[in-house]
Amino acid sequence: MLQVKNLMVFFENALALNELTLTVEKGEIIGLIGSNSAGKTTFMNSISGLIIEKQLRENRRRGERITIYGEIIFQDTDITLMKPAKRVKMGIVLARERHPIFPESDVLENLKIASYLKKRKEWKKTLADIYNIFPVLYDLRNRKAGFLSGGEQQMLAIGMALIVQPDLLLLDEPLLGLSPHFQSVLVEAIVNLRKEFGITIILSEQFARPVLPIIDRGYIIENGMLTLTDTGEALMNNPEIKTAYFGI
Amino acid sequence: MFLSTIVLGFINSIILALVALGFNLTFGISGVANFAYGGLYVFAGLTAWIFINIVKLPYIVSILLSIAATSLFGALIYRFILQRVRGIELSEVIATFGIGLAVLELFRYLGFYGFEYTLPVMFEGSINLFVVTVSIQRVMIVIIGIALAGGIWFFTHHTKIGLAFRGIAQDEYTALTLGIDSDFIATLSVAFGSTIAAISAVAIFPLGTISIEQGYVVLINALAVSIVGGLGSTGGLIIAAFIIGYLQTFTSAYIDTQWVMFVPPLIILAVLALKPSGLFGKQKELEERV
Repeated sequence: MLQVKNLMVFFENALALNELTLTVEKGEIIGLIGSNSAGKTTFMNSISGLIIEKQLRENRRRGERITIYGEIIFQDTDITLMKPAKRVKMGIVLARERHPIFPESDVLENLKIASYLKKRKEWKKTLADIYNIFPVLYDLRNRKAGFLSGGEQQMLAIGMALIVQPDLLLLDEPLLGLSPHFQSVLVEAIVNLRKEFGITIILSEQFARPVLPIIDRGYIIENGMLTLTDTGEALMNNPEIKTAYFGI
Repeated sequence: MFLSTIVLGFINSIILALVALGFNLTFGISGVANFAYGGLYVFAGLTAWIFINIVKLPYIVSILLSIAATSLFGALIYRFILQRVRGIELSEVIATFGIGLAVLELFRYLGFYGFEYTLPVMFEGSINLFVVTVSIQRVMIVIIGIALAGGIWFFTHHTKIGLAFRGIAQDEYTALTLGIDSDFIATLSVAFGSTIAAISAVAIFPLGTISIEQGYVVLINALAVSIVGGLGSTGGLIIAAFIIGYLQTFTSAYIDTQWVMFVPPLIILAVLALKPSGLFGKQKELEERV
């Protein structure tokens, strides 16, 4: 479904992603595990196309120079330099880190804004599905999104991504800053997404323990390089991973 | 005297609201600064005048052409100038204010000032409202103002493009991840704001002559109404227009006409000092709480 070949991203002279190569098959849940500034967000932005938008803006104001090498191929199309809106239409949707929502709109309106590309009928149907997965959102539908807790905002952010009916869902640190309770609720919901809608998912995390049990394969990323790749189970039992990413 | 002031104040308030609606749609609701607003307003009035008096087109065609030309002008301002400084708020303000100045002063340089520059009214005649005689044109302004305010509220709450306007104002990158092309939406936002500037220009200019100074007055009024009402809130804008409109009318009726021009800047100062998010501001309320 997705092939990334020798992807390199520079911010000025700093190397953010280095010769990154990976493949994702349809229906997989892939974990991208790495510490702060390892390149997780840059990777997500490269796949979703936000990096192209950032590059354009920096160029316009003669700011930071962003350079991209390599290839990203999604369903046999080269999307390396494609604009984000086009990629969304192809089915790649990203939920950015730190629960990105529209804080001044209420929950229902957030989901309405997210339905920009969808017909009204489709939206209503998907909305019912989202309320099924996250019943909390239904109860809070008239609450201003900025007043929700972090966990509720994260559910809303994922809900907004689902409104677009993605084939490939990118979740950038979905568990960041959440309580253990919300972490387990979300992990369960992520598993359900694949079961019910057949969505392929790539999720990035620093804290590997809650996500390793649900991923099919995991990639460890350090300083922009993939250093290790294995099945979720094998990574669970790897003593080096335990010491580095389990917080023990 | 008192009753007539109430009626005239009502009309004056709607005029203020009408002028501020377009400014608020662009700057308040979608977060794109358009300080060329006054320039666009006068541009609409003078292009309508040119179409009527020089090209000799029928009134209604001239009006429509001028509204279309102003909207296109707004879109071009975004595409060629604003887009380059997008996201740097101060630069957005300076760039658009500069364009507004250039447009206004270019018209002055070309000699477009004087008493012959007037637009015809839509309908002749006048009617009696309670104690004062009011021209039909003023009644039309009230109708257009109320219709536009309702229309904009509906547009920004129940249409995809209107909702996208509010999306890009709140979080542009999130909007991008949902497939909203933010440059396209921002272009539309400036264009629609210009459309409203043009509609209010062709409705309001027939009340007097088309003067370059109106461009500056309109910008200050629009700014005052938007700041007092709270950027982005259509309901707040209407209430703010009534507060400022009645303050101006009562000042002119009971104190002196020359003090009217002090009302908008003074009220901007007062609101910024006491409640910077505006009386009904939703937009920045959350940030102030933190």
